[in-house]
Amino acid sequence: MTIKEGDTFPQVQLKYIPFDTADPNACKSPQVLDTKKDFAGKKVVVVGVPGAFSPTCSIQHLPAYVTKIKELKAKGVDLVVCVSGNDFFVMSAWGKSENVKDNIIMAGDANGELGRATGLTLDLAKMGMGSVRLTRFAAIVDNGKVTHLAVEPDPTDVTVTGADNILSAL
Amino acid sequence: MAIKVGDVFPDTVLTYVPYDAKNPDACGLPQQLKTHEAFKGKKVVLFAVPGAFTPTCSEEHMPDYVKQVDSMKSKGADLVACVASNDQFVMYAWGKQYNVKDNIMMLSDANGDLGTALGLAQDGTARRMGPIRLKRFAMIIDNLKVIYIGVEPAPGVTVSGASAVLAKL
Repeated sequence: MTIKEGDTFPQVQLKYIPFDTADPNACKSPQVLDTKKDFAGKKVVVVGVPGAFSPTCSIQHLPAYVTKIKELKAKGVDLVVCVSGNDFFVMSAWGKSENVKDNIIMAGDANGELGRATGLTLDLAKMGMGSVRLTRFAAIVDNGKVTHLAVEPDPTDVTVTGADNILSAL
Repeated sequence: MAIKVGDVFPDTVLTYVPYDAKNPDACGLPQQLKTHEAFKGKKVVLFAVPGAFTPTCSEEHMPDYVKQVDSMKSKGADLVACVASNDQFVMYAWGKQYNVKDNIMMLSDANGDLGTALGLAQDGTARRMGPIRLKRFAMIIDNLKVIYIGVEPAPGVTVSGASAVLAKL
């Protein structure tokens, strides 16, 4: 039941706090990201991470997407979304600490809806991190269709899900 | 079924990332904390927040504990800890934002075991915050026995605040 290339990306509603360029420290009202309506007609890169603020995610995974955002957009990407099993307040704070600004939508899947709909979950209960977390993945979703899906074989590492690999696949 | 004064605090496993005074920017290795083992023979102040990095928790609840932690310790508290349903990396980062260092232990109940054992969990799915979140509360636990409990009845910080706890120490 795990999503694969060629599938339609599932429709779930995730929340995020938009970045306010006028007042970067403001905590704006949460918005809903609908993965069907908001992805329609667009080329979207969706990056799933096990945990905001955790070492691999913070040092090896997210920063490369931040530094390569212009290259991703030059290759036709309309939207980059980073999502984890954390809630959207945590994702917003993590985005601020990684200086994401409005380049990447930092969405929370605390209810586990995206995880369950894609099957891309990780049970981290043994680590005390909850049983429905997202595993490390990166997907290219073109007008709602998954055209590329990379799932990290070892979620503590970043290889196929890294920004360079996604750039090569675009 | 919620815990009350006079009850024994449950024995559950929480996680945390320890603060390293020599290397404050390092993200240390997560550790487990077994509540009975860690709290036995001690006077513990434990306050819980629904969510790290959320407005009320960050603006109204946490800062007062940071300000008053030394007063609490001089009134006999051996350990002051903050717990939430966020994971240990998030709790560590939030604590760093408040410069808690090792004054307040930042504990994670991401598996929801403590919330369930205390009967002080709430369902946050309607707000997209996940199915098991801790309510806002503060407790004083003396050698594993709950001697004070303040569960916030409405949004805001009153009985679970640092001043309320300090008055009971």
